[in-house]
Amino acid sequence: MSIPRDFYEFFGIERRLTLDTGALQKRFYELSRQWHPDRFSRKSAEEQLQALDATAILNDGYRTLRDPVKRAEYLLTEEGFPIGEQRSRDVPPELLEEVFELNMMLEELKQGDASARPQLENARENFVGLRMGIDSELMALFAKYDAAEPQSETAKQALHEIRSVLNRRRYIENLIRDVDKALDAGAADAEPVEERL
Amino acid sequence: MAYSDKVLDHYKNPRNVGSLDKSSPDVGTGMVGAPECGDVMKLQVKVNPETGVIEDAKFKTFGCGSAIASSSLATEWLKGRTVDQALHIKNTDIVNELSLPPVKIHCSVLAEDAIKAAIGDYKNKRNAAKPEAVAVS
Repeated sequence: MSIPRDFYEFFGIERRLTLDTGALQKRFYELSRQWHPDRFSRKSAEEQLQALDATAILNDGYRTLRDPVKRAEYLLTEEGFPIGEQRSRDVPPELLEEVFELNMMLEELKQGDASARPQLENARENFVGLRMGIDSELMALFAKYDAAEPQSETAKQALHEIRSVLNRRRYIENLIRDVDKALDAGAADAEPVEERL
Repeated sequence: MAYSDKVLDHYKNPRNVGSLDKSSPDVGTGMVGAPECGDVMKLQVKVNPETGVIEDAKFKTFGCGSAIASSSLATEWLKGRTVDQALHIKNTDIVNELSLPPVKIHCSVLAEDAIKAAIGDYKNKRNAAKPEAVAVS
């Protein structure tokens, strides 16, 4: 018996972007019991190895599928829309302008004294609001993908859009991380230079 | 991982940080980004329209030290070159000069993209300003 490497197949669930995470968790527990090492202690070495292998896929798969962003990134990669191999030409110029401006603003605020703190907090709220907007955009696109015929033009179009929304989300995430760092009193200065390289 | 002294030098004392007047017809602006690491890089050149020589170059990069070093080095190299010579700067030149490790090669690619984008923007502006030049070329 061979173990499916594909997370969706391994969990035996439909290849959809919108998932019932409660049902996923239930399935995770079932499969955890099924592949638990204790049940293989009297089996052959080969079967024991297979159980270990299955447990690894199970854990990876659960971590990936329960998180909407990781799930989308996984599906995009599987469907031939890799995230990590994009060049700048795939990023819309308006997004770059926007991210650049947000970074400029953040840098200015960071250089200010303690009085800049309320502004930083404002900026953070602003970014979190942007991320919430992005997340509802994502949910809508998930639904669009799920409703389309697999491999159809509509499905591909939805994946394409999801990828650009995820790019935007990545930038915003970084900005939130940077604001948090700035708010985390003096933490940015204490950080050794080498670590940022 | 050990980083070269040159990367550290450019990171700690970046050259030519700043911006040029984006609306000037002699200024080309390139804005590029790498979604996977969240970097964004703006690189600008000011070209002498008579000679085609880049008289000034500025950059501003939000990203890791290698991305900052790559764009800082790029602006140093751009000054004094003609627009066409500038297009010959390859990311591998940057990799070699800064001894960038393989995981940071994409930073040099970003810098090369930024140069091409800035020069492209300058050329577009010139062509738009002199429509007859398009017909001739």
